[in-house]
Amino acid sequence: MSIITSSIKSADREARYLSLGELKAIANFYQGGQDRLRLAQILVANETEIVNKGSQRFWQRYPNTPSNTGNPTFRASCMRDQGWYLRLITYAIVLGDTEPIEQTGIKGTKEMYESLEIPLKNLAECMRCLKEVTTEMFSLKDAAAIAPYFDYIIQGFL
Amino acid sequence: MQDLITSTINTFDVRAQYPDSDAMNRLENYFKSGDLRAKASLAISANAKSIITKAVAKSLMYTDITAPGGNMYTCRRYAACIRDLEYFLRYATYAMLAGDPSILEERVLNGLRETYNSLGVPIGGTVRAVQAMKEVTADLVGTEAGKEMGVYFDYICSGLS
Repeated sequence: MSIITSSIKSADREARYLSLGELKAIANFYQGGQDRLRLAQILVANETEIVNKGSQRFWQRYPNTPSNTGNPTFRASCMRDQGWYLRLITYAIVLGDTEPIEQTGIKGTKEMYESLEIPLKNLAECMRCLKEVTTEMFSLKDAAAIAPYFDYIIQGFL
Repeated sequence: MQDLITSTINTFDVRAQYPDSDAMNRLENYFKSGDLRAKASLAISANAKSIITKAVAKSLMYTDITAPGGNMYTCRRYAACIRDLEYFLRYATYAMLAGDPSILEERVLNGLRETYNSLGVPIGGTVRAVQAMKEVTADLVGTEAGKEMGVYFDYICSGLS
Protein backbone atom coordinates (compact mmCIF):
# COMPACT_ATOMS: atom_id res chain seq x y z
CA MET A 1 0.00 0.00 0.00
CA SER A 2 1.40 3.37 -0.94
CA ILE A 3 1.64 6.17 1.58
CA ILE A 4 -1.16 7.86 -0.39
CA THR A 5 -3.61 5.04 0.14
CA SER A 6 -2.60 4.45 3.74
CA SER A 7 -2.99 8.15 4.60
CA ILE A 8 -6.39 8.27 2.93
CA LYS A 9 -7.46 5.17 4.81
CA SER A 10 -6.52 6.56 8.19
CA ALA A 11 -8.17 9.91 7.41
CA ASP A 12 -11.30 8.08 6.32
CA ARG A 13 -11.46 6.09 9.54
CA GLU A 14 -11.76 9.41 11.36
CA ALA A 15 -14.01 11.01 8.69
CA ARG A 16 -11.64 13.90 8.17
CA TYR A 17 -9.53 15.47 5.48
CA LEU A 18 -5.83 14.73 5.33
CA SER A 19 -3.75 16.80 7.71
CA LEU A 20 -1.03 19.19 6.59
CA GLY A 21 1.60 16.74 7.83
CA GLU A 22 0.08 13.87 5.88
CA LEU A 23 -0.16 15.99 2.75
CA LYS A 24 3.46 17.04 3.10
CA ALA A 25 4.52 13.40 3.35
CA ILE A 26 2.43 12.59 0.29
CA ALA A 27 3.89 15.55 -1.62
CA ASN A 28 7.38 14.20 -0.86
CA PHE A 29 6.30 10.81 -2.12
CA TYR A 30 4.98 12.34 -5.36
CA GLN A 31 8.24 14.22 -5.78
CA GLY A 32 10.30 11.07 -5.34
CA GLY A 33 8.05 9.31 -7.85
CA GLN A 34 10.07 10.18 -10.93
CA ASP A 35 13.23 8.92 -9.30
CA ARG A 36 11.55 5.65 -8.36
CA LEU A 37 10.29 5.29 -11.92
CA ARG A 38 13.83 5.84 -13.17
CA LEU A 39 15.21 3.06 -10.96
CA ALA A 40 12.47 0.70 -12.06
CA GLN A 41 13.11 1.48 -15.70
CA ILE A 42 16.79 0.65 -15.35
CA LEU A 43 15.87 -2.71 -13.83
CA VAL A 44 13.41 -3.42 -16.63
CA ALA A 45 15.92 -2.50 -19.32
CA ASN A 46 18.56 -4.79 -17.82
CA GLU A 47 16.36 -7.67 -16.74
CA THR A 48 17.91 -10.30 -19.04
CA GLU A 49 21.43 -9.34 -18.13
CA ILE A 50 20.70 -9.30 -14.41
CA VAL A 51 19.03 -12.71 -14.52
CA ASN A 52 21.85 -14.20 -16.61
CA LYS A 53 24.58 -12.89 -14.37
CA GLY A 54 22.64 -13.75 -11.22
CA SER A 55 22.11 -17.34 -12.40
CA GLN A 56 25.79 -17.80 -13.27
CA ARG A 57 26.86 -16.58 -9.87
CA PHE A 58 24.29 -18.75 -8.15
CA TRP A 59 25.35 -21.91 -9.98
CA GLN A 60 28.97 -21.22 -9.17
CA ARG A 61 28.17 -21.00 -5.50
CA TYR A 62 25.57 -23.77 -5.37
CA PRO A 63 26.46 -26.22 -8.13
CA ASN A 64 24.26 -28.92 -6.57
CA THR A 65 20.87 -27.35 -7.11
CA PRO A 66 17.92 -28.59 -9.20
CA SER A 67 18.34 -25.86 -11.82
CA ASN A 68 21.98 -26.87 -12.37
CA THR A 69 21.33 -30.57 -13.00
CA GLY A 70 21.15 -30.17 -16.76
CA ASN A 71 17.34 -30.38 -16.77
CA PRO A 72 16.31 -27.59 -19.18
CA THR A 73 12.87 -27.18 -17.57
CA PHE A 74 14.33 -26.67 -14.11
CA ARG A 75 16.89 -24.30 -15.50
CA ALA A 76 14.31 -22.23 -17.37
CA SER A 77 11.93 -22.14 -14.37
CA CYS A 78 14.70 -20.91 -12.12
CA MET A 79 15.52 -18.07 -14.49
CA ARG A 80 11.85 -17.28 -15.08
CA ASP A 81 11.25 -17.01 -11.33
CA GLN A 82 14.21 -14.68 -10.96
CA GLY A 83 12.69 -12.49 -13.66
CA TRP A 84 9.36 -12.56 -11.80
CA TYR A 85 10.94 -11.53 -8.55
CA LEU A 86 12.75 -8.75 -10.34
CA ARG A 87 9.43 -7.57 -11.76
CA LEU A 88 7.84 -7.59 -8.30
CA ILE A 89 10.77 -5.55 -7.07
CA THR A 90 10.17 -2.91 -9.76
CA TYR A 91 6.53 -2.73 -8.65
CA ALA A 92 7.59 -2.32 -5.03
CA ILE A 93 10.11 0.39 -5.91
CA VAL A 94 7.49 2.44 -7.76
CA LEU A 95 4.97 1.93 -4.98
CA GLY A 96 7.48 2.57 -2.20
CA ASP A 97 6.14 -0.46 -0.35
CA THR A 98 6.72 -4.21 -0.17
CA GLU A 99 3.05 -5.09 -0.61
CA PRO A 100 3.29 -6.39 -4.22
CA ILE A 101 6.20 -8.64 -3.26
CA GLU A 102 4.37 -9.92 -0.25
CA GLN A 103 1.06 -10.55 -2.01
CA THR A 104 2.40 -12.22 -5.12
CA GLY A 105 5.81 -13.49 -4.16
CA ILE A 106 6.03 -14.30 -0.46
CA LYS A 107 2.68 -15.59 0.76
CA GLY A 108 2.63 -19.35 0.26
CA THR A 109 6.09 -19.38 -1.29
CA LYS A 110 7.63 -21.69 1.28
CA GLU A 111 4.85 -24.23 0.90
CA MET A 112 5.01 -24.05 -2.87
CA TYR A 113 8.78 -24.46 -3.22
CA GLU A 114 8.88 -27.14 -0.55
CA SER A 115 6.28 -29.16 -2.43
CA LEU A 116 8.38 -28.68 -5.57
CA GLU A 117 11.35 -29.99 -3.57
CA ILE A 118 13.42 -26.92 -4.15
CA PRO A 119 15.57 -26.11 -1.11
CA LEU A 120 14.64 -22.69 0.28
CA LYS A 121 18.23 -22.13 1.34
CA ASN A 122 19.27 -22.30 -2.30
CA LEU A 123 16.48 -19.94 -3.33
CA ALA A 124 17.59 -17.43 -0.74
CA GLU A 125 21.13 -17.67 -2.08
CA CYS A 126 19.86 -17.25 -5.63
CA MET A 127 18.10 -14.03 -4.58
CA ARG A 128 21.26 -12.89 -2.83
CA CYS A 129 23.19 -13.36 -6.09
CA LEU A 130 20.48 -11.44 -7.94
CA LYS A 131 20.78 -8.67 -5.39
CA GLU A 132 24.55 -8.53 -5.74
CA VAL A 133 24.63 -8.31 -9.52
CA THR A 134 21.83 -5.72 -9.46
CA THR A 135 23.31 -3.44 -6.83
CA GLU A 136 26.70 -3.59 -8.55
CA MET A 137 25.09 -1.83 -11.52
CA PHE A 138 23.93 1.15 -9.49
CA SER A 139 25.46 4.00 -7.57
CA LEU A 140 25.68 3.55 -3.83
CA LYS A 141 22.67 5.79 -3.24
CA ASP A 142 20.48 4.02 -5.78
CA ALA A 143 21.64 0.61 -4.60
CA ALA A 144 20.63 1.55 -1.06
CA ALA A 145 17.13 2.31 -2.31
CA ILE A 146 16.79 -1.01 -4.10
CA ALA A 147 18.56 -3.43 -1.76
CA PRO A 148 15.87 -3.54 0.97
CA TYR A 149 13.39 -5.11 -1.45
CA PHE A 150 15.79 -7.94 -2.22
CA ASP A 151 16.42 -8.36 1.49
CA TYR A 152 12.69 -8.57 2.03
CA ILE A 153 12.47 -11.47 -0.40
CA ILE A 154 15.49 -13.21 1.09
CA GLN A 155 13.96 -12.89 4.55
CA GLY A 156 10.75 -14.35 3.19
CA PHE A 157 12.59 -17.52 2.14
CA LEU A 158 14.27 -18.10 5.48
CA MET B 1 -9.23 0.84 -2.29
CA GLN B 2 -6.49 1.45 -4.81
CA ASP B 3 -4.49 4.39 -6.05
CA LEU B 4 -3.17 4.90 -9.55
CA ILE B 5 0.05 3.10 -8.64
CA THR B 6 -1.56 0.01 -7.11
CA SER B 7 -4.18 -0.21 -9.85
CA THR B 8 -1.44 -0.13 -12.50
CA ILE B 9 0.55 -2.80 -10.66
CA ASN B 10 -2.49 -5.02 -10.19
CA THR B 11 -3.37 -4.78 -13.86
CA PHE B 12 0.09 -5.77 -15.03
CA ASP B 13 0.92 -8.30 -12.33
CA VAL B 14 -1.88 -10.65 -13.38
CA ARG B 15 -0.38 -10.64 -16.87
CA ALA B 16 3.17 -11.01 -15.47
CA GLN B 17 4.19 -7.95 -17.44
CA TYR B 18 6.00 -4.73 -16.88
CA PRO B 19 3.77 -1.66 -17.21
CA ASP B 20 3.73 -0.50 -20.86
CA SER B 21 4.82 2.96 -21.92
CA ASP B 22 1.27 4.36 -21.69
CA ALA B 23 1.03 3.23 -18.10
CA MET B 24 4.49 4.60 -17.35
CA ASN B 25 3.51 7.97 -18.79
CA ARG B 26 0.37 8.02 -16.69
CA LEU B 27 2.41 7.27 -13.57
CA GLU B 28 4.93 9.92 -14.44
CA ASN B 29 2.24 12.55 -14.98
CA TYR B 30 0.59 11.49 -11.76
CA PHE B 31 3.80 12.00 -9.79
CA LYS B 32 4.39 15.31 -11.54
CA SER B 33 0.93 16.56 -10.61
CA GLY B 34 1.51 15.64 -6.96
CA ASP B 35 2.00 19.18 -5.71
CA LEU B 36 -1.15 20.29 -7.43
CA ARG B 37 -3.13 17.47 -5.83
CA ALA B 38 -1.78 18.04 -2.34
CA LYS B 39 -2.45 21.79 -2.56
CA ALA B 40 -5.96 21.28 -3.90
CA SER B 41 -6.71 18.87 -1.06
CA LEU B 42 -5.52 21.41 1.46
CA ALA B 43 -7.63 24.20 -0.09
CA ILE B 44 -10.73 22.01 -0.18
CA SER B 45 -10.38 20.84 3.41
CA ALA B 46 -9.96 24.42 4.59
CA ASN B 47 -13.06 25.53 2.66
CA ALA B 48 -15.26 22.44 2.79
CA LYS B 49 -18.12 24.14 4.64
CA SER B 50 -18.24 27.11 2.33
CA ILE B 51 -18.04 24.92 -0.78
CA ILE B 52 -21.15 23.08 0.39
CA THR B 53 -22.95 26.29 1.32
CA LYS B 54 -22.26 27.83 -2.07
CA ALA B 55 -23.11 24.66 -3.96
CA VAL B 56 -26.44 24.32 -2.17
CA ALA B 57 -27.20 27.99 -2.78
CA LYS B 58 -26.48 27.46 -6.45
CA SER B 59 -28.43 24.29 -6.99
CA LEU B 60 -31.06 23.48 -4.37
CA MET B 61 -31.97 26.57 -2.38
CA TYR B 62 -35.36 28.11 -3.15
CA THR B 63 -36.39 25.27 -5.40
CA ASP B 64 -39.24 22.83 -4.83
CA ILE B 65 -36.87 20.58 -2.91
CA THR B 66 -36.55 22.96 0.05
CA ALA B 67 -40.22 24.01 -0.05
CA PRO B 68 -42.79 22.22 2.14
CA GLY B 69 -43.33 18.74 0.69
CA GLY B 70 -39.88 18.73 -0.91
CA ASN B 71 -37.23 16.26 0.13
CA MET B 72 -35.08 18.87 1.90
CA TYR B 73 -38.02 20.29 3.84
CA THR B 74 -37.61 19.98 7.60
CA CYS B 75 -34.27 20.74 9.19
CA ARG B 76 -33.56 17.08 9.74
CA ARG B 77 -33.73 16.30 6.03
CA TYR B 78 -31.83 19.44 5.12
CA ALA B 79 -29.07 18.38 7.52
CA ALA B 80 -28.99 14.87 6.04
CA CYS B 81 -28.59 16.35 2.57
CA ILE B 82 -25.71 18.58 3.71
CA ARG B 83 -24.06 15.64 5.40
CA ASP B 84 -24.20 13.58 2.22
CA LEU B 85 -22.74 16.43 0.18
CA GLU B 86 -19.91 16.66 2.71
CA TYR B 87 -19.27 12.95 2.22
CA PHE B 88 -19.21 13.36 -1.56
CA LEU B 89 -16.73 16.22 -1.35
CA ARG B 90 -14.43 14.42 1.07
CA TYR B 91 -14.42 11.18 -0.90
CA ALA B 92 -13.96 12.99 -4.21
CA THR B 93 -10.94 14.68 -2.65
CA TYR B 94 -9.55 11.31 -1.51
CA ALA B 95 -10.06 9.91 -5.01
CA MET B 96 -8.35 12.92 -6.56
CA LEU B 97 -5.31 12.41 -4.31
CA ALA B 98 -5.23 8.71 -5.18
CA GLY B 99 -5.81 9.36 -8.88
CA ASP B 100 -8.28 6.47 -8.82
CA PRO B 101 -12.06 6.28 -8.31
CA SER B 102 -12.16 2.92 -6.51
CA ILE B 103 -12.71 4.48 -3.09
CA LEU B 104 -15.85 6.20 -4.41
CA GLU B 105 -17.16 2.88 -5.58
CA GLU B 106 -16.38 1.13 -2.30
CA ARG B 107 -17.38 3.70 0.26
CA VAL B 108 -19.94 5.93 -1.45
CA LEU B 109 -21.66 4.55 -4.51
CA ASN B 110 -22.07 0.92 -3.48
CA GLY B 111 -25.85 0.65 -2.96
CA LEU B 112 -26.34 4.41 -2.75
CA ARG B 113 -28.80 4.69 -5.62
CA GLU B 114 -30.98 1.97 -4.13
CA THR B 115 -30.84 3.65 -0.73
CA TYR B 116 -31.78 7.01 -2.19
CA ASN B 117 -34.63 5.51 -4.16
CA SER B 118 -36.03 3.75 -1.13
CA LEU B 119 -35.77 6.95 0.92
CA GLY B 120 -37.35 9.00 -1.87
CA VAL B 121 -34.25 11.17 -2.27
CA PRO B 122 -34.38 12.66 -5.78
CA ILE B 123 -31.38 11.62 -7.86
CA GLY B 124 -31.82 14.61 -10.18
CA GLY B 125 -31.44 17.10 -7.35
CA THR B 126 -28.46 15.23 -5.95
CA VAL B 127 -26.71 15.26 -9.31
CA ARG B 128 -27.45 18.99 -9.65
CA ALA B 129 -25.87 19.64 -6.26
CA VAL B 130 -22.77 17.57 -7.08
CA GLN B 131 -22.38 19.43 -10.37
CA ALA B 132 -22.68 22.73 -8.47
CA MET B 133 -19.98 21.50 -6.08
CA LYS B 134 -17.82 20.78 -9.07
CA GLU B 135 -18.14 24.39 -10.27
CA VAL B 136 -17.60 25.92 -6.86
CA THR B 137 -14.56 23.70 -6.24
CA ALA B 138 -13.04 24.61 -9.60
CA ASP B 139 -13.45 28.31 -8.76
CA LEU B 140 -11.57 27.68 -5.53
CA VAL B 141 -8.69 25.45 -6.65
CA GLY B 142 -8.18 26.72 -10.19
CA THR B 143 -8.82 25.22 -13.62
CA GLU B 144 -6.25 22.45 -13.64
CA ALA B 145 -7.00 20.97 -10.22
CA GLY B 146 -10.67 21.73 -10.80
CA LYS B 147 -10.64 19.58 -13.89
CA GLU B 148 -9.12 16.71 -11.93
CA MET B 149 -11.71 17.04 -9.16
CA GLY B 150 -14.37 17.22 -11.87
CA VAL B 151 -13.50 13.71 -12.98
CA TYR B 152 -14.53 12.34 -9.58
CA PHE B 153 -17.61 14.53 -9.17
CA ASP B 154 -18.74 13.27 -12.57
CA TYR B 155 -17.96 9.73 -11.46
CA ILE B 156 -20.32 10.15 -8.51
CA CYS B 157 -23.02 11.53 -10.80
CA SER B 158 -22.75 8.73 -13.32
CA GLY B 159 -22.76 6.20 -10.47
CA LEU B 160 -26.02 7.67 -9.21
CA SER B 161 -27.89 7.87 -12.47
